[in-house]
Amino acid sequence: MLETLQTLFTEEWAIRALIASTMVGVTCGLLGSFIVLRNMALIGDALAHAILPGVVVAFSIFGMSTVGFFIGSVAAGLITAIIITWIQGNVNTKNDAAIGIVFTTMFAIGVIGISAANRRPGVHLDLKDFLFGTTLGISNEDIYLLLGIGVYVIISVVVFYRYLFATTFQPVIAKTMGISIRMIHYFLMLILSFVIVASLKAVGIILVVAMLITPASTALLLSNKLEKVLIISSLIGFLSAVIGMILAIQYDTTPGPMMAVIAAFFYILAVFFSPMKGLVFKTIRNRNLRNKIYLEDTLKQAFRLQQKEELSFKNLQEQLGYNTNLLKNNLSKMAKQNIVQLSPELVLTQTGQDQANKLVRAHRLWETYLVNEMGLSAEQIHEDAEKYEHLLTEDMLDEVDAKLGFPKEDPHGSPIPPKG
Amino acid sequence: MDRDISISVKGLSVSYERKRVLSNIFLELKTGRVIGVVGPNGAGKSTLFKAILGLIEPNTGLITIRGKNPDKVRKEVAYVPQKNDVDWSFPATVMDVVLMGRYPFKGVFQRLSSEDKEIAMDALKEVGMEAFKDRQIGELSGGQQQRVFLARALCQNAQVFFLDEPFVGVDILTEEKIITILKKLAKQGKSLLVVHHDLGSVQDYFDDVILLNQRLIAYGPTETTFNDENIRRTYGGQLPVLHKMGEIDE
Repeated sequence: MLETLQTLFTEEWAIRALIASTMVGVTCGLLGSFIVLRNMALIGDALAHAILPGVVVAFSIFGMSTVGFFIGSVAAGLITAIIITWIQGNVNTKNDAAIGIVFTTMFAIGVIGISAANRRPGVHLDLKDFLFGTTLGISNEDIYLLLGIGVYVIISVVVFYRYLFATTFQPVIAKTMGISIRMIHYFLMLILSFVIVASLKAVGIILVVAMLITPASTALLLSNKLEKVLIISSLIGFLSAVIGMILAIQYDTTPGPMMAVIAAFFYILAVFFSPMKGLVFKTIRNRNLRNKIYLEDTLKQAFRLQQKEELSFKNLQEQLGYNTNLLKNNLSKMAKQNIVQLSPELVLTQTGQDQANKLVRAHRLWETYLVNEMGLSAEQIHEDAEKYEHLLTEDMLDEVDAKLGFPKEDPHGSPIPPKG
Repeated sequence: MDRDISISVKGLSVSYERKRVLSNIFLELKTGRVIGVVGPNGAGKSTLFKAILGLIEPNTGLITIRGKNPDKVRKEVAYVPQKNDVDWSFPATVMDVVLMGRYPFKGVFQRLSSEDKEIAMDALKEVGMEAFKDRQIGELSGGQQQRVFLARALCQNAQVFFLDEPFVGVDILTEEKIITILKKLAKQGKSLLVVHHDLGSVQDYFDDVILLNQRLIAYGPTETTFNDENIRRTYGGQLPVLHKMGEIDE
């Protein structure tokens, strides 16, 4: 590994590979966010596959030329986008089928073209390099082109951010504001072709879609604000691409698959550990809430039984329907918080009674609110109040209380305890 | 050109595929009024909006907004679409959405200024949503979501407002708040068109009413136009149930 790192900073080809993967990661991450939000993942994949014939045609005209490849690929990408859009608008073929037909055809023509070109003497185009990227084949011209495209894409997204945001979020509103949805669509297709061409050498055309959608989907799990999503997505794209490239050099393999796997690794991390949307934290939050509800329901029932002077473990269990372990558990937690006394007999402390009063107040206030303000009938509301009594904060309750004019009774005629 | 006319529709017909949705509609809408658009499902209410807004291509018809081609007055027109047309999981905050109302005022290379942000903040205060400005839109209740979209329309400083079913799925407090704001805007001389379903509140909410069922059934001041005869002609067989609901509400 140390050897690899040394190679990275001394060998020119390795430095070029690193710069290339950086640009790929950042631009794919940035643009990928819009591609994902516009449900265009398949289009990204299609454009990537469809540039192959463009490369072959450019090769037969210009020879092994970076600029030639660039022009050929962008032209092929745009033609593909136009044909797909045309079919979707004018022919009775399903949208995703239209995309599939066009790009597989283009790709097939490209593969046939490469075989044909290789038959000429002195020509060697390695299909594998196009499909999965290459660590060695990145030239100085490639780097200049990549930097140029990178800067252009970043500036475009910054300058046209408002237009991209509006047409992605609410195309209809964008249109009523006089923004041309069609123009933004083709503009996006154009820079998407740029980014894909730029990614050709480093990731290859099969897996560039991974760099477009995986970091972006990861970022969407981590933030709820588009500007932040763009930054996080670029950052994850950058990390995936660079780490992937280093591993490809280390294990002497093609970089595309390595990058895709690293990107997926970040995605899986986010799926489980994202603070807002991760499954782990969701589960923990749900469990905490459930425990809170168990405790509060136990408290409420204990309070009722105590008022009737019937509080005992057995009666409590009968009312709640909890199994013995759960109830014991709850009660010992409550004892620790000085809500109940367990011995010599089960009894609610003053703290416990105050807290129970608060819960009853929450429940009855909320029921009153539902009936008076939302127009629901007294029969409809108990379950809802049962749920919300656990969620309403003190401040919210005071506000509800004030809005209702400090009612004395709930819709069932039970007294609402005053604020304790 | 009559200065009191905000929107003029002449001979508008629209069809989807081959199905006629709107037939030969003529309308001259006055400024300074809250106008309800009422009719059964499939009556073409949303389609009327979309045609006036230039979102769909009509078969025939001439539409002018404030005497001009709709394309020329984009800035002056605000549209609040139906709630189910919105992707609520989109990574947009309340502030992001309201600021969209400032987009029409900005050239391609201009950034949003602090003044734009102040205008957006004022609009949020007006609808009582300033405390939620950094919330993601999907985390709001139905009523709050509707208020955010109204705030966007407000900060667009438009002359003509189109609201498509703004009261569906909102709480009563929000409904009252929205209608208060709409009435205030009308007093300032703006025109407001509202697609509405609850026949019971039509009399209270709207100055004028458009009764629509593919053809224009009636248009005029609510007091005189929204009568049993016109309602029956609009709703046909569906009338009895709906009208009963209206009576209970009153």
